[in-house]
Amino acid sequence: MESLKPFLADILSGVASDYADVRLEESEQARIVYRGRDLDEIGRAFERGGCIRVFHHGNWGSASFNRVDDSLKELARDVAAQVEAMPSRPEILGEMPPFAGSVSLPEDDDPRKVPLAEKHALIRRYNDILLKTAGITTTLSMYHDVFRETAFLSTDDRYITQESVYTGFSCRAVARDGANVQDYSDSFGKTQGFSSLKNREPMVERIAKVALDLLKAEPVQAGVHDVIIDPQLAGVFAHEAFGHLSEADFLSGNERLLELMRVGTRYGREELTIVDDGTMPGERGSYRFDDEGNASGHTELIRDGVIAGHLHDRQSARRMGETPTGNARAVSYRFPPIVRMSNTYIQPRSANIEDMMDSLEHGLYVCGSRGGMTELESFTFASQYAWLVEQGRKTKLVRDVTLSGNVFETLKNIDMIGDDLVMFGGLGGCGKGGQAPLPVGLGAPHVRIRNVVIGGR
Amino acid sequence: MEDEILSLARARGGKAEVFSADVNRTVVEFRANEFHSQESRLTRGYGLRLVRNGRVGFSSTTNPDVVEELVEAALDTAAFGKPCRFDFPGPGPKPAVTTFENRVIMLPALKMIDWGRELIDAVRARVPGLKLDVTFTRTYREIVVMNTAGLDTRFSRAEFDLSATGLIVHDGLVWIPEYDNLSAGKPPAIGPLADRIEQRAHSARSRARLATGTYPVIFMPTALPNLLIPIEVGVSGKQFEKGTSPLIGKTGQRLLDEKITITDNGLRDFGLASGPFDAEGVPRRRTALFDRGVFTGFLFDLATAGVCRAETTGSASRDFSAQPQPGTSNIELATGTARLEETLKGVREGLLVYDCIGGGQSNLLAGDVALNVSSGYRIENGVVTGRVKDAMIAGNVYEMFRNVEAVGDTERDLGTYFVPFVKFPALKVATRD
Repeated sequence: MESLKPFLADILSGVASDYADVRLEESEQARIVYRGRDLDEIGRAFERGGCIRVFHHGNWGSASFNRVDDSLKELARDVAAQVEAMPSRPEILGEMPPFAGSVSLPEDDDPRKVPLAEKHALIRRYNDILLKTAGITTTLSMYHDVFRETAFLSTDDRYITQESVYTGFSCRAVARDGANVQDYSDSFGKTQGFSSLKNREPMVERIAKVALDLLKAEPVQAGVHDVIIDPQLAGVFAHEAFGHLSEADFLSGNERLLELMRVGTRYGREELTIVDDGTMPGERGSYRFDDEGNASGHTELIRDGVIAGHLHDRQSARRMGETPTGNARAVSYRFPPIVRMSNTYIQPRSANIEDMMDSLEHGLYVCGSRGGMTELESFTFASQYAWLVEQGRKTKLVRDVTLSGNVFETLKNIDMIGDDLVMFGGLGGCGKGGQAPLPVGLGAPHVRIRNVVIGGR
Repeated sequence: MEDEILSLARARGGKAEVFSADVNRTVVEFRANEFHSQESRLTRGYGLRLVRNGRVGFSSTTNPDVVEELVEAALDTAAFGKPCRFDFPGPGPKPAVTTFENRVIMLPALKMIDWGRELIDAVRARVPGLKLDVTFTRTYREIVVMNTAGLDTRFSRAEFDLSATGLIVHDGLVWIPEYDNLSAGKPPAIGPLADRIEQRAHSARSRARLATGTYPVIFMPTALPNLLIPIEVGVSGKQFEKGTSPLIGKTGQRLLDEKITITDNGLRDFGLASGPFDAEGVPRRRTALFDRGVFTGFLFDLATAGVCRAETTGSASRDFSAQPQPGTSNIELATGTARLEETLKGVREGLLVYDCIGGGQSNLLAGDVALNVSSGYRIENGVVTGRVKDAMIAGNVYEMFRNVEAVGDTERDLGTYFVPFVKFPALKVATRD
């Protein structure tokens, strides 16, 4: 897409608004799904489209499109005319210096160069590992890859071309014993080529084993417990419960929320630091430039227990008098970018897991995630399974363990942070604003939290 | 374009189907009482499903310049594809359903901006300090299905709705979501919407405590879809095909309370999932799922019906970029006779639930839910006394719906759910208190 600048400049040339940008995207994807022994779905997709945004006198307008031709100049003018007709407000976006950036991937990372037969063989092999395990009755195994090229130009002459890649797979095993049906799943995904997905047999074997173990687990009793949560669930907590509150598009314009999230406010102990970092090599939420042409960054959201920063796009940064953090991301050309996380994690500290377990007289060791949801300060996360812990020893496997609570109270109740950071990617992603699934990474070490509400039977 | 793809596929393979969706969406958004943005999304995409050597292949595109590549990719995937156990349908009659109102399409976006301001002003006047996010979403959709059996059918749907979320900071953050389906062309009922937000904001001013225990719980219509989603998963022909639905072998059995009748209705006028035909060109219909508690059957598309030796129920749903799957359209839960005021009066101590988060995170196949009550209120001697924070309801929806005390007499239109309130006599509620 190197030569697209004149074409993009022409699209914007008829727009006299305060600011405008245009983004074009071409992508190719492959997707393979096995359910049980049967190949359920295999498909390839070719997408082409783009998005024009216009900002004028405090208002935004945008249009996304599939038709890429000379009509786009007129579409840009139409969007500008709509925005100019809106009641004006005294807000400017601020100037940024001209910039040019380009990202090309190594050829080895391009999944388009891998034959479909090879992708099919990989996911079938992993699916077969699950199926050959006695007691596993059915499976859901998915392979997905995307290769994407984008070109971006803004009226302040920021021009970026970028190639990106996502590859990943997920496996779910369903175990059955009479009417007792249990399942367990795990997923692996990176911004790397197809070869990163090879040799993951141990992970797949573990999926089958945990699903079988869950047949013997009982539902947990509802109540309030001290818990140790594993790196995956702690990562989901960092992303869902706290990370979303750090997204400044949601804060700006609401004084009470701004007050809650003001830099310097203490919400945790000295040991607690939460970071969003889009520059981590290969992680699922990594990228070089965001969809406003700013470089991704490393932003401390909480440093030593105290609110230290927010995630921004250009508008929210200007409104709050802070610097854009390179977190304006769109899930595809169909949407304008909004403020999103990249890779969000709790920074490791000094505790080791053995000492943490020893410290738990009576509680739960909660593992894995079935997903999490938040509404502002309230969160709820479903785990995959948990162990009852008595005097530091795991005594009984339990299931249907759901954690919920208030994020600010929960942050204060984190009182031990492990030394064993693990990052997770997988096939899924974040779903903010209907733009799903946006690839994100998340992670943490083991974390101990006091007094967590556990939903159960 | 559809013709071109189909001709090429026919020449290269044999049986084929082209599904296309041309979507024009306008989104007008207010954030924290202020106008924020207007978005247009103009998307057009094509999905090609074909059969070669008895196996199904699939590819999709939004790029009209890659017709040959599209057909090649579908043929490429067919080498590994699923055996085909169905025939594409030929032409047939289309049932009547109204999915399009011209006033919706003609409405200028500036009018939505006016309505948004009116709603914000009305709520502000009633609840000072409340910040309202408002989103109007209007979608004009043209669906075309063509296949080598001679089917060439299309329909248009205009979808238009308003979602609003009030936020107040009072002993933590209080979240008040509201919704209005405007697809029939009527302007939004600003006064009643503002009244509902005011009423809940008022109830949230005081914090009420509810100890962990078993209570009567009233699920208001806005919260009820959280309990219906596992049932929708259970009735899917896909789960029947895979042997994973807990409903297998139970057709004709009374599984739920007699007060519960659930229908999938793809022919409901102005339902956001309505249409004369499904995503494979098969006529939509009303399909009873539970009739007075008795399970009446699964939902199938062509592929699952073929494998399960059943008939399609016209339940194929899809985007152009994916193969069809059986799924629900509009879900109706039949109204009962209970009035909300009377039902509240009958509760000595209980929980009134307007909204939950966490639906969809549990073992849905088994019918399990674990819901965080994000908008819940304590009922005490028939009166709503305040907001309950951090409550969780976990259980199995098939067990929950087996014992229902009351079903409301008024249906709420939530776009694809048409449901009253439901009162459960005893649900386990976990709280911090």
